[in-house]
Amino acid sequence: MALAASGDGRAFERLYRSHVARVHSLARRMIDLEHADDLTQEVFVRAWRKLGTFRGESAFGTWLHRLAVNVILGKRQAVGVERDRFLTGAAIDDAATRSREPELALDFEDAIGRLPPGARQVFLLHDVAGYTHEEIATLLDIVPGTSKSQLFHARMALRGYLDR
Amino acid sequence: MNDQWPDRLSEYLDDELTPAERAALDAHLAGCATCRAVLDDLTRVRARARALPDQRPANDLWPAIARQIATGRRGPRVPALSVPQLLAASLALMLASGGLAWLAARRGVHASASAAAASPAWGAAPAWKSESSYAAAITQLEAALEAGRSSGALDTVTVRALVHSLAVVDTAILEARRALAADPASAYLNHHLADTMRRKLDLLRQASAIVSSRT
Repeated sequence: MALAASGDGRAFERLYRSHVARVHSLARRMIDLEHADDLTQEVFVRAWRKLGTFRGESAFGTWLHRLAVNVILGKRQAVGVERDRFLTGAAIDDAATRSREPELALDFEDAIGRLPPGARQVFLLHDVAGYTHEEIATLLDIVPGTSKSQLFHARMALRGYLDR
Repeated sequence: MNDQWPDRLSEYLDDELTPAERAALDAHLAGCATCRAVLDDLTRVRARARALPDQRPANDLWPAIARQIATGRRGPRVPALSVPQLLAASLALMLASGGLAWLAARRGVHASASAAAASPAWGAAPAWKSESSYAAAITQLEAALEAGRSSGALDTVTVRALVHSLAVVDTAILEARRALAADPASAYLNHHLADTMRRKLDLLRQASAIVSSRT
């Protein structure tokens, strides 16, 4: 870490190799596979430039993950995922119904990708990445109550894909 | 099933209910198989989410990242010296080297490669080929300083002068590296770093000769 912060490219490459799977998976799940490569590259280029600001208060992986979340969320509008962000009313019922239809050949991760973007982001940030509702509310510019509600409905929609 | 409870099962799972709410829901769950089944599903969904494996991208993204880092005008944003500051640091380094040479001359030590080679314990300081050579030479000198200090063979003034000179050199090298990281294509900065490294090697040779003469 110290070597990378002093400008050692090989040291930074080692950090990249250690963390790329997690960053790429986050980008793929929060946006889509099509944009994941570009987003991952942008995260690491930005991390290189900001290494001097890393003070070691948290683990490097935690710092990098937070930077990745900010980069990915900042690109939401650019990749057109702002419309119909959250599960509401009929969409909730529809999602829950679809989860009970065995003929749908979706596995669990595919099903996460089918959630509306906002609900998907809440689910990924909370259940996959471990952020609190207060942190998610700040990141997504919503209130914690909305985060809790969307998490519940996302979990309910995913119940039908547990065994796939 | 009480309508108020299903919506709270997710919060119950995450331990976000008040003690009173949790107690009330516990009582409800004891008598509601449907809610217990939903809670069990929510628990499994959360467990599946936490266990999702991370996957590397299909293509190696490092070459593209390395190109962007190399061609970008900004490197890691650490404080970097301006060129005038680098010149001042280089001058300080030369003065430090000169001070050590004066110290060596005052003690009648000829800080030449042949003099250093007369002591098999230290030998001639290795010609600079790589940073690993520096590391080996530094390790040798540090061991010699410690041996000289603990045995009393090196006086405090000499040790202090050696330590201070090495600190000046290392600071200059670190600042040169940082500046080079911000502008890797700079011919001046590349030359400056190489020159600073050579001065450190000269300093090590002089220090090694002093240590040899006194131990």
